[in-house]
Amino acid sequence: MEWNFRNVDDEGELNLKHFFWRCTACGTCRSGYTYGPPPTFRKICPQGEKFGYEGFFASKGKAALARWMTSDPVLKNEFEWTPEYLKTLYTCIGCAGCQNQCLIDFKPHIIDTIEAMRAKAVNDGVGPLKEHHILITSMKNNDNPYTGPRSVRAKWMKGLEGIKDINSESAPVLYFAGCTPAYNAPVKNLALKTVSVFNKIGIDYGSLGKKELCCGSTVLRLGARDEFKRIAEKNLETFKYLHDERGVDTIVSSCAGCYRSLLEDYSLSEGYKDYMDGIKVIHTADFLYDLYKKGEFEPKNEIKMKVTYHDPCHLGRHVKEWIIDWDGKEQWKGSYMGVEDHGTFESPRELIKAIPGIQFEEMRRNQNNSYCCGSGGGVKTAFPDWAAENAALRVEEAEQTGAEKIITCCPFCHANLNDGAKVRNSTLRTIDLVELLDEAL
Amino acid sequence: MYAYSYDMSFVKNRLPGYVAMPKTVEEVQQIMKMANRTKTPVIPYTAGSNIGGLCIPEKDGSIVMDMKRMNKIIRIDEESRFAVVEPGVSHAELAEELYKRGLRFGWPVGPPSASVLSCAICHGIGGITGRYGLNSEQITSMEVVLPTGELTRVGSCAIQKDAWHSLLPLPLVGGLFTGWLGTTGVVTKLGIFTPAVPPHVEIVTTATDDLQDMYKYMLEFSRYEAADDLTAVSWWLSQVPIPYPYKEKPKDAPEWNSYAVLYAYTEKELEAKVEMFERTVKNQQKNGSSLQVTQYPEEAKRARTELPSQIVGSTKNYSKQAGGGISWPGTFTPANKWVPVWEKWREIYKKRNLSPSVRVTMYRGTHYGMLRAMTPINKQYPDQVENSRMAIVEALKVLLDEGGIPYKPPVDFAKEIYSRADPGYVDLIKKVKDFLDPNEIMNPGKLWIR
Repeated sequence: MEWNFRNVDDEGELNLKHFFWRCTACGTCRSGYTYGPPPTFRKICPQGEKFGYEGFFASKGKAALARWMTSDPVLKNEFEWTPEYLKTLYTCIGCAGCQNQCLIDFKPHIIDTIEAMRAKAVNDGVGPLKEHHILITSMKNNDNPYTGPRSVRAKWMKGLEGIKDINSESAPVLYFAGCTPAYNAPVKNLALKTVSVFNKIGIDYGSLGKKELCCGSTVLRLGARDEFKRIAEKNLETFKYLHDERGVDTIVSSCAGCYRSLLEDYSLSEGYKDYMDGIKVIHTADFLYDLYKKGEFEPKNEIKMKVTYHDPCHLGRHVKEWIIDWDGKEQWKGSYMGVEDHGTFESPRELIKAIPGIQFEEMRRNQNNSYCCGSGGGVKTAFPDWAAENAALRVEEAEQTGAEKIITCCPFCHANLNDGAKVRNSTLRTIDLVELLDEAL
Repeated sequence: MYAYSYDMSFVKNRLPGYVAMPKTVEEVQQIMKMANRTKTPVIPYTAGSNIGGLCIPEKDGSIVMDMKRMNKIIRIDEESRFAVVEPGVSHAELAEELYKRGLRFGWPVGPPSASVLSCAICHGIGGITGRYGLNSEQITSMEVVLPTGELTRVGSCAIQKDAWHSLLPLPLVGGLFTGWLGTTGVVTKLGIFTPAVPPHVEIVTTATDDLQDMYKYMLEFSRYEAADDLTAVSWWLSQVPIPYPYKEKPKDAPEWNSYAVLYAYTEKELEAKVEMFERTVKNQQKNGSSLQVTQYPEEAKRARTELPSQIVGSTKNYSKQAGGGISWPGTFTPANKWVPVWEKWREIYKKRNLSPSVRVTMYRGTHYGMLRAMTPINKQYPDQVENSRMAIVEALKVLLDEGGIPYKPPVDFAKEIYSRADPGYVDLIKKVKDFLDPNEIMNPGKLWIR
């Protein structure tokens, strides 16, 4: 299967190089600023705030990395991989906070540039970092990044009722649980409560069980494109089979990482439209909100609690459709013209507010200007202490709302925010939206 | 290191030898003392968002001293209307805090991440220049680490450590650290005047066929001192982004457009200011001017008051069609010289296939103001960078011949300035610089003569 990944040194008129040379180094990307009124200033780049130097900071720093990698036309440097360069490249969480600030033609290409540089690191045999190797080896051996054997994957669903084995039974909905609740015990409840909520509402759904594979997101974020392609192609074939043979028309993911990958990354394959014809990929929050709006269920149990919501990057600001003037008919070739925001921001908030007794309070940084928990881009694997330290900053922000619980929709954020709470000895805990909803149904 | 080797200007990259990020004044002092011992050049750096290459080292092996970690708003005195900030405080950060208190600063059209302190000490211009003057004129006190590492204070804080209200009536030694492009010391704290935001605002706009009519209108209207910001832009600059390469102006489009931001504390005051504007327009038209009152698009109007800006009129938006860069011959020039300079600039830019995207702004109650040509640069291609650089330098020479003075000058400009300067002035600058920086470690080469 052919994939349309872009490379940092691609030739051609509107290649990545063209776009990272559009960066003006103005530094607007460094903070989440809106005029308002009132004007608001928010720190937005965890990597830059932690390490400080310009090369670490936001999209300005990433453009510098890419320019150096592909040789600056004035300095004419011969690029060599160094430990410092790799550290700079792999301490970016890929949260896209900077992307949300940028207003120039580089904007739509920022995340692609970061991931293309990482792909080059892997191709050149120097990336990812040694701490990541276990993750990639596990993916090759076990089809998951957690070093867990395949046989354990479906353990979480043992004895559960209401969930069909989609390998042998038909259902319109495939629940794609993902690796994290299957192999990471602290967030196992996410899958259990999703099943519980689905059962209470009366969804006709099934799971692949032991045959479910990782979505591949974790390895793609590190630059290991070949491993991602291997697993994504298997998944695409499975999804087509399930559609043709088992009547699946909806894949529901309760993981922001899987959701982003199935929706955005898989669409880079040449065969995506054929394989996914008739199949909709949706996150649990949107899936449930659609049903709620249709009157299919209503949270009735009162929960007297003040809560806040943490926006996962992969569910929010990563899900965008860029409007680019590729042929220059409207403005100029390759110009950034706008964006259609498909991020899931409203659904979780509306569902939370629909629960009787719940008091909802926003954090200072939210939605497109949310502050990343620090778990993504391989940072949790290679720099676990810093990932938790960064999450502690987010927990501190949540504490300022007076919330008794942080609600989120991503198992990575979920686990890392709870690690962050431990770092600052906070009693504030994070739970998933479905855990809250299950209590309310 | 590479991220510190360039900015958005045409100035040629140079890698620093080291980057230091002090967190305290004591650490700044230690760095300066060590640099003196080893004779290592030091370049103070905040956001690197100036457009004159001011933070790009002129010498190999330099230390870029990145001040971003010194980012505290130390004090906002709401009653006395001044703030004390460290170098790393951005416009966005201060804007949020001042707004809560009904105060403001001379926000420039630069990015929200730019440093308030650097803008002020480099004679930055902002949205209140017409009413209060340059941002450097708002400085009320300073704390400075000298090139030799000693700590000093100027202004009221030098006499009583918590008094940051005024540079006067003491000798104006703050001038030793403003406009020197980081060659005479590291300013570690700055007191700045932060005036109130008046509740009423009106933006009045005009257009003319040429700069001659526009400058006459601006000169007359500026006598009333009614506008916080009185600015005109050539058609090319009003496009946002600036067309790159040169694009012919439609024949029926006016060549110049202007806006005046009128703030007032009462409705009556605002009415009076509008009346002054109308009277000026009537008078100009009576004398045969092509001046017309126009209607700006709402977004463009908002950009004049919603500062720091994220939308129209911010530096990044000016330059984005070219890609990666922008620079200027930015100058202080008598208004009656704007026309002859503009006519030559227009030809220079057209010849080099660049848009003559020029802005003029009246300063507080005077006969002179800012005259600058915003020049986009395609940083990916050295030949295009050189083309823009040549246009800028050619334009600068014309300007100097007419008596204009460039601000925040890169070394290319400094050469032109000091080659023409009075020898006594050059000698004085050298003596001051040598006195403060005997080992020539502060941003050496940036003044060209030192």
